[in-house]
Amino acid sequence: MWVAGGAAHAAPDGRELYIEHCSACHQMQGHGGIGLPLPNAKLRDVTDDYLFKTVRLGRPGRVMPAFQRMSDAQVHAIVKFLRERSKTTEPTYSDAPIVGNAEQGKVLYAEHCVKCHGEDGSGEGQGTGVTGSRERSFLVMPASISNSGFLQSISDPMIHHVIEVGRKSSDMPAFGAGKLAAQEINDLVAYVRSFEQRQVEAAALAPDERPTHIYESPYDFDTTVANVKAALTGANFRIFPDRLVEEGLIDEFSVNTRQIGVRFCNFNVLYGMLKTEPRLGVVLPCRITIMERKDGTVLLAVPNLRVVSRWFNNDELVEMWDRMEQTFVSIIEEVTL
Amino acid sequence: MKTHLRSILPLVALWLIGGAALADDMLMARIPMRAEIALEYVKSSIEEHGYSVAHIQLCDSGMSDFGYKSDFYRVVFFGKISEVRMITERYPELVSYVPLKIAVIAEKDETLLAVLNPEALLPFFAAEEVQIQLGRWHSDLVSILDELRRATGQGLAARN
Repeated sequence: MWVAGGAAHAAPDGRELYIEHCSACHQMQGHGGIGLPLPNAKLRDVTDDYLFKTVRLGRPGRVMPAFQRMSDAQVHAIVKFLRERSKTTEPTYSDAPIVGNAEQGKVLYAEHCVKCHGEDGSGEGQGTGVTGSRERSFLVMPASISNSGFLQSISDPMIHHVIEVGRKSSDMPAFGAGKLAAQEINDLVAYVRSFEQRQVEAAALAPDERPTHIYESPYDFDTTVANVKAALTGANFRIFPDRLVEEGLIDEFSVNTRQIGVRFCNFNVLYGMLKTEPRLGVVLPCRITIMERKDGTVLLAVPNLRVVSRWFNNDELVEMWDRMEQTFVSIIEEVTL
Repeated sequence: MKTHLRSILPLVALWLIGGAALADDMLMARIPMRAEIALEYVKSSIEEHGYSVAHIQLCDSGMSDFGYKSDFYRVVFFGKISEVRMITERYPELVSYVPLKIAVIAEKDETLLAVLNPEALLPFFAAEEVQIQLGRWHSDLVSILDELRRATGQGLAARN
């Protein structure tokens, strides 16, 4: 109890927290990787509140997770570390409310912003922003300015400032200094803010969804394995050599040979998916496990991609795997008919 | 004594789960060394935590064989036979998630390690036995990633 109490009162170490929770995606020096770069020039433009809320809320559907279970002190420690590492100071923005006309802003947005940020504000082209997932016709990836995490993190005066002076870190041009009047920028702020009313939530899972589909085969073990392979071949999947579930974990004489993982792949699909979600390997879902139980029944188990895909916080992957899920289910139903 | 232990077991499980207060669905670490070398550290750390490495899937080679360009990308499968048997016998719904897997992904001269947080499965299983098992896997995976970060910490410090 004393140890736990002591730990609870220790000031959180922002560098350690950054290494543990941020460096994997943003890289230690903030050069980016799966996550966007965090250059000093960008940190100079954003407030500590923006950084705090970004860590706390993440970017729903865009890979960056919401660290909602961190304590406030821990999130503040990460923000402090970012400030110290970048040797930047927090900018201050006016608290004066911004009043703009979203309809006027929409016209200006179409003229000046849509080319980079897209009609729906989600950023240029298809993809989530993950490394390699986009058509890179731009040198940088314009931010998704319609993302709910972004809109809840950024203040209106900060949006105004970014439009006015641009962003050196991402080559976003400045629209102040004669290009747009202050009121026109206000109108743009109002239009960007209006994306909040058009948020599209990812389809929620049904309450009875399970992480795995389990089917009972009407056939014996060997016939079921053969049927699975035939169905996979018919669906244009390449099948890899069989792999026993216990293989490599126990000697070859003790391994259960009536539990087998049939592994399959369509390399073209896999390659496209890896561009969208490089961490795909943590699941490798293309495996149907066939198990003979002690009572002779044969079960087939296949991961429920609708559930698994949600763990990546990657909307594009969710769409891809929702489609693939139907293929998996069709194959299993064909096998167990 | 045994009774006493039984009574505190759920508390220990809760503590394990509580320790994952910062947990996300994905556990990740960045290792400042080339992936080929990092893979050896990964295998060693897995075995030091009492698991056996079942096999390593060469995803990059598979893709290259079919003409798709890929950097170093391996998936390490590992587990404990007693745990895998418990799952296959009693909880077939978990069989798709065993053996456990760590993806070893090259990013230039660094390596990204990613693993599914077993606790992402917690909401689907009420059985205390599964809750404890998932908590234990989570704890071990966090420890493996921490150890790998520490083992290569000198590299991190040198780069800062």
